[in-house]
Amino acid sequence: MMDCRTAQGKILAKADVLLSRQDEAGLADHLAGCPACAADDAAIVGTGPVLRALTAIRSMEKAPALDAMWTRVRAGIEESRESRWRFSWLARWAWIPAAVALAVSALLFYPSGTDQSPYRPSSFDVAVENVESDVATVALVDKGEDLPTVIWIIEDAKT
Amino acid sequence: MIEREKGGVPDDALIRSTLAGDEAAFGELVERYKGRAFAVAVGIVGDGDDALDVVQDAFIKAYYKLKGFRFGSSFYTWFYRLLVNQAIDRWRKSARSAEVPFDESWLSEDASPPDSFAYPRTPEDLLRDRELGDALQRAVDALPEYHRAVIVLREVDGMAYDEIAKVLGCSVGTVMSRLHYARGKLKESLKSQREG
Repeated sequence: MMDCRTAQGKILAKADVLLSRQDEAGLADHLAGCPACAADDAAIVGTGPVLRALTAIRSMEKAPALDAMWTRVRAGIEESRESRWRFSWLARWAWIPAAVALAVSALLFYPSGTDQSPYRPSSFDVAVENVESDVATVALVDKGEDLPTVIWIIEDAKT
Repeated sequence: MIEREKGGVPDDALIRSTLAGDEAAFGELVERYKGRAFAVAVGIVGDGDDALDVVQDAFIKAYYKLKGFRFGSSFYTWFYRLLVNQAIDRWRKSARSAEVPFDESWLSEDASPPDSFAYPRTPEDLLRDRELGDALQRAVDALPEYHRAVIVLREVDGMAYDEIAKVLGCSVGTVMSRLHYARGKLKESLKSQREG
């Protein structure tokens, strides 16, 4: 004879249509003699029909709105299309004010009237290795006060 | 199976026509699935007006995403994925999601057997026992959102486990365990209501 604990598992398995014929027969025997498990079984079996009946009532309550669903959807598609078009129009032309703003800022803030470069080396020294050789290095060097600084160099014709 | 339910043009053909610019073909798809879509949506969000909005939004989303539909796969599984996500989003945004604490008393193990084991099976029966329907809806509302989606897709829509798994993007095992959990909770709510 099946015990209640086993029967509970079988009741749920029955709802999932996963019970063998043998288990189903064993469960039926148990349910016939156990009102508590029979109540559980009835509630599990009853869940689906009650849910479907509840849904059917709600569908009936909203039947007119459901009948007009395509009209609602079509209106929504149209509205969405317009807002998408507006957005794409904005995206297409938004660069113009941005470009104008950038140009104005450039004109307003571009450093003007500078009469000297930001870096003026104190003296220059140009060193050229043997120009006949395969290796040629040209460098512009600021000798400076303490240490020389290479400002610009060409090594094997590569800057 | 579904696409021949009304003996009409197959879903794939309607999708191709829609993509070619025939909006009426999409209207046919709306007409074909709106009832089932509403049943699923109302099961998840609980409120009829919210469910109508969910169905409408899901169809609009489907219309604009139709280019990404893979021909050969099932339209309704693809569409239900949009629908269920839309319904869950709606549920999360609604105040109702925070209002429905799960009543632990439903889980009491020492409940005495009810006088009658019979539950309503038709809308007419349920209208005579509306409290039972309301109690069940409260229990559904108290389920975690994906458990709610699973029980609705299975019990209301009659979807197979593998289809539910595709819609929710999870394994069949997960579907079965969520279903097991949800059935256990709903069973307790029905019993509790019966026992008064």
